[in-house]
Amino acid sequence: MPDLIQYSIYILLLPLLSFAVQIFFGKKLPRQGDFLATSLVGVSLGLSLYVAFSALGQDNFQQEWSFTWANLGTMEIKLGILLDKITAVMLIVVTGISFLVHVFSIGYMAGEPRYERYFGYLGIFTFSMLGIVLSNNLFAIYCFWELVGLSSYLLIGFYFERDSAAAAQKKAFMLNRVGDIGFWLGILILFAQFQTFNYQEIYQNIGEGKFTWGEGWLTVAGVLLFMGCVGKSAQFPLHTWLPDAMEGPTPVSALIHAATMVAAGVYLVARVFVILTPDALAIIAVIGAVTAFFAATIAITQNDIKRVLAYSTLSQLGYMVMGMGVGAFAAALFHLVTHAFFKAGLFLGSGSVIHATHHEQDMRYMGGLMKKMPITFATFTICLFALAGLPLFTGFLSKDAILAGAVGYANVEGSWAMLIPVLGFSAALLTPFYMGRQWFMVFFGENRASEKPAVSDNHHHHGHGEHHHSEIHESAPVMTIPLVILAAMSFFFVFSPNPLDGEKGWFMNAVKTPETKVGIPKEGLQSAAQVFSAIAGGEPIASENNAKEHGAMTQFSDVRQQRLAEETHHAHGTVVALSISLALAGLALAYLAYSKNIGAIASPFVLISKMMNWFNDTFMEGAFVKGIGNLGVKLSSFSGGFDKLVVDGIVNLSATLVQISGLVFRKLQTGRVQTYIALLLIAVIGYFFAKLV
Amino acid sequence: MPEIGLNHYLVLSAILFSLGLFGIMTRRNAVVVLMGVELILNAANLNLVAFSKFNGTMSGVMFSMFGIILAAAEAAVALAIVISIYTTFKTVDIGEIDTMRE
Repeated sequence: MPDLIQYSIYILLLPLLSFAVQIFFGKKLPRQGDFLATSLVGVSLGLSLYVAFSALGQDNFQQEWSFTWANLGTMEIKLGILLDKITAVMLIVVTGISFLVHVFSIGYMAGEPRYERYFGYLGIFTFSMLGIVLSNNLFAIYCFWELVGLSSYLLIGFYFERDSAAAAQKKAFMLNRVGDIGFWLGILILFAQFQTFNYQEIYQNIGEGKFTWGEGWLTVAGVLLFMGCVGKSAQFPLHTWLPDAMEGPTPVSALIHAATMVAAGVYLVARVFVILTPDALAIIAVIGAVTAFFAATIAITQNDIKRVLAYSTLSQLGYMVMGMGVGAFAAALFHLVTHAFFKAGLFLGSGSVIHATHHEQDMRYMGGLMKKMPITFATFTICLFALAGLPLFTGFLSKDAILAGAVGYANVEGSWAMLIPVLGFSAALLTPFYMGRQWFMVFFGENRASEKPAVSDNHHHHGHGEHHHSEIHESAPVMTIPLVILAAMSFFFVFSPNPLDGEKGWFMNAVKTPETKVGIPKEGLQSAAQVFSAIAGGEPIASENNAKEHGAMTQFSDVRQQRLAEETHHAHGTVVALSISLALAGLALAYLAYSKNIGAIASPFVLISKMMNWFNDTFMEGAFVKGIGNLGVKLSSFSGGFDKLVVDGIVNLSATLVQISGLVFRKLQTGRVQTYIALLLIAVIGYFFAKLV
Repeated sequence: MPEIGLNHYLVLSAILFSLGLFGIMTRRNAVVVLMGVELILNAANLNLVAFSKFNGTMSGVMFSMFGIILAAAEAAVALAIVISIYTTFKTVDIGEIDTMRE
């Protein structure tokens, strides 16, 4: 077994050890074991850094290791580990943010009940998330997929005494189930075709054209696999669980519901990217774009500091999914990584604010925290600028790359696809607007804690009674140091030497968009995307000339993918200009609307937001989620009835038959030897007669 | 006077067997039933000896020796069981001993 594989197994198992120790012995350990859990994840982080730097230093790095998990006679199910550059980066993201969240939690969760169990849950989450990242096959990723769902469930409902938390955890679990059904069916389609779960073997089989059910079924498989992403990454229409998931402790929101778990869906799409047909990618792009825009509008009118960030996370996840859909594979993963750091920074920053204000989460009763919490303010601001897409910060680089991909896609696909960059750019305007609103409401102006109605709702049961805003002060170093690190990771130079172009950075060099295995349409097999583009009259680009102009742009043999890459490259300059102006405009509008309180500027945004909110509450929450719930109840009452009538019926019928036959045959058992002998005699005589005849 | 042949032995054996069976099926006294069993056993022995004589080999005789010894052992065990039944049920009427039925 190669060294790096061995290290990655340690990386995977150390958090599991932390979980086991915390659950069984946590209460007995000094400080309830927080230092132990943190240091185990810290060791994991150290090993991850070693593995990642070894991996990133090599060209075309890839290592795989498998073992036979089950031998079913004619087929073997193998599990194992796949290490490549994507895995390497993801290892740092997961263990790094997990470690920082552990450290932050030591301060944030101090004195909470079930403190030791909290760290245990963080451990099993980290373990499962690393499992998703390291798996080399769809079967194992599905198992770990469910495990992160479980740890998310446990942590959302950490304050399960609160009804809203208990409801939120159930909702998250159920809606994820809806997506996971599709995910599993998608896996089964591929397994039925190839008798393997291994990524590389599936890629190879599909590349060789061994998928015998035709392109339509491959699209179905791709969309079904994407359903897993829709559930886990909270894409439209299964998005409603994520804002409710904010019931969990804030560091959990940072780790699970912002940085890592919700990004697992994007990671999954990245893993199956090469087998997604153009039709499947078109669906993915549209869903991503709709989510990005839809969530951004709702964020404008949220008053809970965490819910703003939750909708913002939805919107950014929409960007990533859209990036995957338009073929900007590397850009989407890049955004996943940059977003993980700055969004974790924002959530932890809001955690620092919530902690300082004694569990006040309503932004209407905050304000003027800039001077009271300078470190939190500075780090929050840096992460906020990164999210808003201002140049010099990481968010700009990755969002810009995705938007360039979207414009390129629209140019290739033609008219209908214009929707995607339009939604993308609208969200790019809305993001700095709602984040600016939050920034001004929380950190600027006068403190409004006294404006809170005297009868405070008992929503946050663990509040510390009276709110004395004079007590508000900066959080302890154990909380601010993770903030500083995360803010530092949000500057452009971490990823790229050029503040305006991520293409030149190490990340885009390490993670290349892979060659698709299905993109070359067979003769006579026209994809819907092609039909659309034919209608739109998109003219083919003379790729040879372009290839000469841009020496670096000849990485794809697939015509469509090559055109996408070229168009993306062409669009880049325009997109940079447009997204910088949109970001600045958004912030400026937010300043006018919420710092200068010019209602005329705020009102159109608020109006759109209210409309979308109404739509979300009425149709998504009301009709869709309730519909799914009712459907579930109907289905279960049906299957319950089926169980009672048919399954139990069969069992009871066989019992009744035995009983009746018993009643009949017991008459023969008289207990009198002579009867038996008489019967025996009759039988023997009968036998002889039968022989004679 | 005709020669006594194999058939005579077999007919006698069949009569003995039928008598034994009749005794087993009709009598209620366990001891009489046992006597019927003995008749059946001896009918079988008679058969074996007759076949042995007319085949000119000794194996049938050997079998019947075993049969007689087994019959003796069986009688001893069966009588012991009958006595045991009597001490339990105060009767040897097999019509009344039907507790196995329930």
